[in-house]
Amino acid sequence: MQKLLASVAGGSAALGLVLSLTSLSAAPLLLIFFIAGALTLIRFKKPLPIWVDGVLMVFGAYALIASLPAEGTMPGHHWLALISAWAFSWLFVEELSTAIRLGKLPHTGTGLVIPTIFGLALLIVWEVITRGAGVPPVLLPSPSAIAARMAAETYILTQDFIQTFIKSVLPGYAIGCLAGLLVAIAVDRSPFLKAGIMPIGNFMSALPIIGIAPIMVMWFGFDWQSKAAVVVAMTFFPMLINTVAGLNAASSIERDLMHTYAANYWQTLMKLRLPAAGPFIFNALKINSTLALIGAIVAEFFGTPVVGMGFRISTGVGRLAIDLVWAEIAVAAVAGSAFYGVIALIERGVTFWHPSVRGGRA
Amino acid sequence: MKKILGGLVATAMVMSASSALSADALTLQLKWVTQAQFAGYLVAEAKGFYDEEDLDITILPGGPNIAPEQVIAGGGADIIVTWMAAGMAARESGVPLVNIAQPYKRAGLMMICPTETGVKTEADFPGKTLGVWFFGNEYPFFAWMNKLGLATDGSAGGVTVLQQSFDVQPMIQGQADCISVMTYNEYGQALDAGYSPDNLTIFNYTEMGNDLLEDGLYVMEDSLKDPAKVDAYARFVRASMKGWGYALENPDEAAQIVVDADETGAAELAHQLYMVKEVTKLVDPDDAALDMATYDRTVKALLDQKIVKALPEGAYTTVVTDALK
Repeated sequence: MQKLLASVAGGSAALGLVLSLTSLSAAPLLLIFFIAGALTLIRFKKPLPIWVDGVLMVFGAYALIASLPAEGTMPGHHWLALISAWAFSWLFVEELSTAIRLGKLPHTGTGLVIPTIFGLALLIVWEVITRGAGVPPVLLPSPSAIAARMAAETYILTQDFIQTFIKSVLPGYAIGCLAGLLVAIAVDRSPFLKAGIMPIGNFMSALPIIGIAPIMVMWFGFDWQSKAAVVVAMTFFPMLINTVAGLNAASSIERDLMHTYAANYWQTLMKLRLPAAGPFIFNALKINSTLALIGAIVAEFFGTPVVGMGFRISTGVGRLAIDLVWAEIAVAAVAGSAFYGVIALIERGVTFWHPSVRGGRA
Repeated sequence: MKKILGGLVATAMVMSASSALSADALTLQLKWVTQAQFAGYLVAEAKGFYDEEDLDITILPGGPNIAPEQVIAGGGADIIVTWMAAGMAARESGVPLVNIAQPYKRAGLMMICPTETGVKTEADFPGKTLGVWFFGNEYPFFAWMNKLGLATDGSAGGVTVLQQSFDVQPMIQGQADCISVMTYNEYGQALDAGYSPDNLTIFNYTEMGNDLLEDGLYVMEDSLKDPAKVDAYARFVRASMKGWGYALENPDEAAQIVVDADETGAAELAHQLYMVKEVTKLVDPDDAALDMATYDRTVKALLDQKIVKALPEGAYTTVVTDALK
């Protein structure tokens, strides 16, 4: 694999060099990149250090962005530079992971570098293709245009974030998860409820969100209350199922021990069964963190005040403010990931006893 | 990219020219679902007026999540039907649309309020909730509110804006004090729901002088450099206006044509007949030309409302409608 990547990276650079010398139209930065890239073909005679590929990757990306044409589409050798820089970044990541595997590099620091490089490389390829191939911004704006829009519209983005995340997602999530937990304990107490509620819960979870959203608007008005209600309906069920399963996680030998201590139901629940259900409950909390955000955004497609992420995403297309739509999507992605991350961090602290957490740090 | 596409188009043209079909193929993207609002085009297609002009027209229906401006930018259509405000806003966003004809001379947009809400005049708006369609249909409303000096961001003394569904439900359910309707569509739904001019306060954008031009025909600026294209556009507009004339003179037949053309099965004959009769008041089948006074007023309102940042230049052309005279 590495050999193939190395030949693609060096080869396309050499080809680019030939092309740009014959057409005499290449930007100086790209020329330097082509020459350096073509020189790496030496590696088949004599191995090169890792950092060479890293430097070429960074320089190639810089040269590509800096020499994008202001108007029109980019010439052929520019595309070769893109292929070459992409191959260099891939090669660099491959070499890094090999070095980690062989124990030459520490895991903790470099483990973060690899996904960062991958993410940045994707953004750069997106930028170069949208601007270099002359893709109309109303179809797909470039990341730089989206970033510019984010900087310009911080007020709108903040207002939308508050409306959707703070007012709809958080209360809905809290109510839905708490209700799911309490009902799960009730179900655990009573076989009658178990027979009655679980099928209804199954039925509720199968309701499509676009079916319940308009109904919630009718019941709770068009402001955040109806969106929070949709979030409650979406988050309740995963919590119920997971908690019911988790309450059965404690083994009978542990329960027998509690019994010999003369512990009553509630003591057993608080001291043994709920802590043992911790991983299950946190699993539901993590699933719900992303579900809640999706639910609130989709619910805002149906009758809203004129603020909110879902409102902006659904109506921005009609106004051809596609960069604003992407900016909202970026905010939603960051918010959702951060929400998930916070829950995962709390989980590590609370379920420190669980093998998956203990084993995570050898 | 453009070269490749151009090559493909050229190849396609050569291939179609060599076959028996020598008709010019054009794709028309409607602003909304198949309904009598577009009767002229549907009738021209059904009655063979396009065939007489040696045209092969494909009519694409729109819908609540189809932006015609985006379709034409992506190369999915040659001509689109859209409102001028949305067209001009798209022009500023980098989609160089040009108005080639304006069959709709008057706007069909209204705002209606049940009298029990206490709204009698514009002075009663502060503190009320008003339903507005978004997705490119919000501009006339915001231009009007701008003219009245009313805040629309929910601050005190202003109005609360509700993103309205494309029906009259928010008024019936009492979620909004006033809602947007088109004379030829939702207003009919309100009448069917038991409302009438006796228990409604009606604000007609055209009568108030707040109308912005509605359904016009727009094409991409580049295509106008090609005389063959311009000629095809002229034949298209001529056949379409013939279709409008026929539709307005034979409303029953036109309504039936619309119902037959609707592949979703959502169009009802009675409602389409109502719609044909209502659009008669808005469309001038004898004149497709853009009226400059209304154009100037529309553009000025867009500029005042900051919907466009600068006065549009070259946003309309008379070359197509001049060719019809």
